[in-house]
Amino acid sequence: MDSRARRSLALLTLVLGAASGYARGEVYQEPAAFVAEVFGSTPAPKVLWLTREIQAQAAAILGHAPAQLRQRYWSETRKSVWILEETGKEELITAGFVVVEGRIDHVRVLVYRESRGQEVRQGVFLKQFNDAKLAQGNRLDRDIDGIVGATLSVGAVERMARLALYFDRMSHG
Amino acid sequence: MSPKLLLFRFLRRWHARIGFAAVVFFLFLAATGFVLNHSADFDLNTRYVHAAWLLRWYGLAPESPRLAFRSGRHDLVAANGRWLLDGRLSGEKFPQPLGLVELPDMVVVASSTSLYVYNKDGTLIDRLDRNALPAVPVQAIGSGAQQLVLRTDLGTFESSDALSWGPAPRDAVAWSAPAELSAAERERYAELLEPGISVQQLLLDLHSGRLAGRYGPLAVDLLAVFLAVLSLSGAWLFLKPRHRRERH
Repeated sequence: MDSRARRSLALLTLVLGAASGYARGEVYQEPAAFVAEVFGSTPAPKVLWLTREIQAQAAAILGHAPAQLRQRYWSETRKSVWILEETGKEELITAGFVVVEGRIDHVRVLVYRESRGQEVRQGVFLKQFNDAKLAQGNRLDRDIDGIVGATLSVGAVERMARLALYFDRMSHG
Repeated sequence: MSPKLLLFRFLRRWHARIGFAAVVFFLFLAATGFVLNHSADFDLNTRYVHAAWLLRWYGLAPESPRLAFRSGRHDLVAANGRWLLDGRLSGEKFPQPLGLVELPDMVVVASSTSLYVYNKDGTLIDRLDRNALPAVPVQAIGSGAQQLVLRTDLGTFESSDALSWGPAPRDAVAWSAPAELSAAERERYAELLEPGISVQQLLLDLHSGRLAGRYGPLAVDLLAVFLAVLSLSGAWLFLKPRHRRERH
């Protein structure tokens, strides 16, 4: 390989790497702003420590081990907010889940970093999660209609929804 | 011999020749295409190949580690988006660390926009991004009175659990500072922290021919032309005798 071609390949690799590693992505709403919107102000965060049992269940829901050992969340009276991240195809999707008495009140995609599949942020898709609760096997009590071309992102949002409901249940002891 | 029969024989001969000559390449393209189509299932984007010859081939010059952060019994060396914390390698695409602090029950590494909170055994407890920090960019990380302390443009903040933050006094803080590595340490760490190429990137470059340089994509284009020729000649060879039989 000559040096010019090698430089081109290196440049291409760096550009693709930079594009795929672009941490900020498309920010639709800052997570802190989402929490503030839900509660009217930002309450102090609480922590759910992921015990071995919770880690095992979270791994079963996600299909991989959870990335960290504690999960921050915000709650007041009956309502809790979970900001979760999960990989769609290659990059993390950040979504906020509001859970009220074991049911999802509403979902919002806050940051989307993938190059395709942004349709998961649309209200028509996310409304399907409203009022969903956990059924047997930590599955949702309903089927979520997919979006052609965004299958992996749809799967990621669904896994996060199940995890938010499971974490909410665990946070109540 | 009629011209049509000559054409038929010519096409059949060249259909077989091109097919035989390109069989290895077609199988290779089919295999790489199949794997790429299921890249998420195989976690190709999170798997990396670390090999000096591959970096040379890509023309990538690895960054040599020069500095280490030390706190108590813990140390951190970083280069090429990889961290070596207490001899344990992180994943890829990690930010440049600013410092390392050991607290009674955790070890915290700061970058300019995030904190990584680890157990004493190196397991990641939490990653705090800009939304969970009192202010960014973080300029320095330190400790004082068993509190984690961050210095930012907006002031100095402290926390005991990396969750709740309050203003901190500027004095009596031991700020984390890098230490220069010796030549022997640099050499040893350079090998451990060698950058990698993701398997997905490698397969994409193989599939498209880019790995072979400027002429690689042209070679793959040529294979595409061969495939088109094979499809057309194959279809013609399949249909032509049938037409003849139908006429009889």
